[in-house]
Amino acid sequence: MLHHRAAAERAAAPPGATRRRFLATTAGAGAAAASPALLTGCGTARAGTGRLRFWNFYGPQRSPDPAINAQSKWFVDTVARWNATHKTQIDLVYLPRNTYINGFKLPSAFATGEGPDVFLLSPGDFLRYHNGGVLADLTPHMAKEAVDDFGSALDSRTVDGRVYALPMEVEPLAMFYAQDVWEKAGLSEADIPTSWDRMLDIGDKLRAKTRAGLVFETNPGYLQNFTWYPWMWQGGGEVLDESGEVAFDSRATRQALQLWQDAVRHGIAPRTPPAAGDVISGFKGGNVAMWQQGIWNVSSFKAYAPAFRYGVFKLPVPPGGRYLTALGGWSFAANARSGNAEAAAEFCVWALGSMQDDAVDRMVDWCVGAKSDVAPRESALERGAAKGGYDSAVMRRFKDEIFPGGRAEPRYPPVVYKAISDAIQGTMLADRGVAGETERAASAIAAYTESYKGASLI
Amino acid sequence: MSGVVTPERRATTAPAGASSAARGPRLRRERREWLAAGLFLAPDVLGLLVFVAIPMVLSFALSFFQVSGFGSYEWIGLGNYRRMMGDPLFWDSMKITGLYVVVLVPVLFCVSLGLGLLVKQRLPGVGAYRTALFMPYVISLVVVGVLWKFLLDEQTGVVNRAMRAAGFDGASWLGSPGLALGCVIAVTVWVMMGYYMIIFLAGLQEIPREYYEAARLDGAGPWTTFRTITWPLLRPTSFFVLLMSTVAALTGGLDLIFVLTNGGPANGTSLAIFYIYQQAFGFGEYGYASAMGSFLVLIMVIVSAVLFTVTRGGRFDDGE
Repeated sequence: MLHHRAAAERAAAPPGATRRRFLATTAGAGAAAASPALLTGCGTARAGTGRLRFWNFYGPQRSPDPAINAQSKWFVDTVARWNATHKTQIDLVYLPRNTYINGFKLPSAFATGEGPDVFLLSPGDFLRYHNGGVLADLTPHMAKEAVDDFGSALDSRTVDGRVYALPMEVEPLAMFYAQDVWEKAGLSEADIPTSWDRMLDIGDKLRAKTRAGLVFETNPGYLQNFTWYPWMWQGGGEVLDESGEVAFDSRATRQALQLWQDAVRHGIAPRTPPAAGDVISGFKGGNVAMWQQGIWNVSSFKAYAPAFRYGVFKLPVPPGGRYLTALGGWSFAANARSGNAEAAAEFCVWALGSMQDDAVDRMVDWCVGAKSDVAPRESALERGAAKGGYDSAVMRRFKDEIFPGGRAEPRYPPVVYKAISDAIQGTMLADRGVAGETERAASAIAAYTESYKGASLI
Repeated sequence: MSGVVTPERRATTAPAGASSAARGPRLRRERREWLAAGLFLAPDVLGLLVFVAIPMVLSFALSFFQVSGFGSYEWIGLGNYRRMMGDPLFWDSMKITGLYVVVLVPVLFCVSLGLGLLVKQRLPGVGAYRTALFMPYVISLVVVGVLWKFLLDEQTGVVNRAMRAAGFDGASWLGSPGLALGCVIAVTVWVMMGYYMIIFLAGLQEIPREYYEAARLDGAGPWTTFRTITWPLLRPTSFFVLLMSTVAALTGGLDLIFVLTNGGPANGTSLAIFYIYQQAFGFGEYGYASAMGSFLVLIMVIVSAVLFTVTRGGRFDDGE
């Protein structure tokens, strides 16, 4: 009976609705849908066209932030100018900043031999990429005058006198402060602290329930280490001495760790950055009195809070110390394993490191137009100043007072970075003993340097 | 009795020609069913093979090499495993992971079950409640992280403002080692509870209503009804939730940690999966990360096996 009914139903069904036909159709549709994806996955755009890929975290993109749009436009214009005048064409590939810095795309690409032809490189990653053999030597493409024009800005991107990356900016650290908060507390510019103790006193005076008196970076990462180094250097501390020996366990290191620990322990500095780390919102919202930050925030203030009254001052120093700040900034680098490494290297030098007026102007546009940075080339710094790029009180102070006491961000590899980071985090946020953390970090660094093989760590 | 011919006996007693004629269509049908099953399973099996099984095997193989991250591989045998055994940061991250799993899984289980029981009731607008509770699960973890970062902000966060309004001091939720992991667990529960609530709801709706009616007629109260009917009959669902949430706790939460704490403060939220990711993609230590990843998989297999054994795989009793 059942058999008869099934037969009858099959007979009544439209001819296309059999199970076999359904399966065949499904399989066909699946294959058709999968084919383009599989075929496009067979090769990169570069393999097919010979075009170079330039991975970056600026553009092309659209953003509600006019500063970010200006930075994106600079990248787009730079590449468009190269493409208009050179046979080898370049495609800009934009990756969101967090994906670029903390994500797996860039390391995975290099690990699989598919790294971009041109990319942005931070000082913290320099040695790892150099020791991995993927940084093209830019020296043959550069004139000696151009190398001299960069001066010490190239130090952390040079190995044995050869240049492996070209800095696009120099970003000094300073202390930003809210002038209204300052004045309401009866303070004036004459009260700007020059010593650590005075800085803590003022931070203590300015703090309130919803306002941090003084902010240091709290999130673990390369940025936190970068912002901490000047406090160690000011007392004469070093991670590694001139001969490459571990020098981390020193009085200067301990007092720098103690400074941050005291600031947090006494509630002067918060344990997390105000406004979830948004500097402009933190200041505008009245949640911050002083914040150790970089020059890059000047363009953000200009874009988002042009009327906000703020000032900057040099980082205060410890008793008997010497003023120093850290100079950050990213570089252009070319992939030595690119199918066209010569053209990639040539592009980096053409964009930032040639003696042509265009290259200098391009750097000026980046440092005082699209962003707010100190130019890494002497000629660009002068030209930027002549164009009025450092005329504002804040930028002038950065150029004339803060930057001259600067020292390049170190290029320590991950193991060294992590040991220092753990010491900062342990003392600052877990209230661990400064001496013990310093000693532990020094031992970890020493264990690493004993077996380290590669370019000089300093 | 002898007149009764079972299909099996018919097959043996029927003429050869008739036998093959009867078996032919059945075999063709069976083959077609096998083919259909194979075709339907193929995409999943292929996906698992390509994206899970093969990478796992390759990762295990990688764990015996020193990998530069730029194409060079050097055989070091058990070197990465020896390094793992002596790495205090890895063991710290394992301890944090253990604590995370031990707290998260029971809390998530109870909250999801409670919500499942709640939204099973015939309440006005219950559909809206179900949707609202499920909503966090469909939001990107990055967005969730940013949202909670603002809510838990030390100075201006809603949580601290509410506490201050109630006369308490605020706390540094994400900046204190003792609180940050708890906050990560709470946010994870908030995100995941909607998903497991739906799983429990499906399990609860499978329980025949007649059982509850009979219990009510017998005078059983809500607790007795839950203890004697709901809980035992939810066993397969409970097992599923327990297993899935344990595996999720052991391997998930990376995006949330990245946005909320970046493993801090003082490595206080550095789960094993975060530490492994950091070693691989932050430091280029692919071989070492693979060794730790393989170890984590082993732990996961052991935990799953224990769960299967203890709960008998969610079966009601032996033989069913």
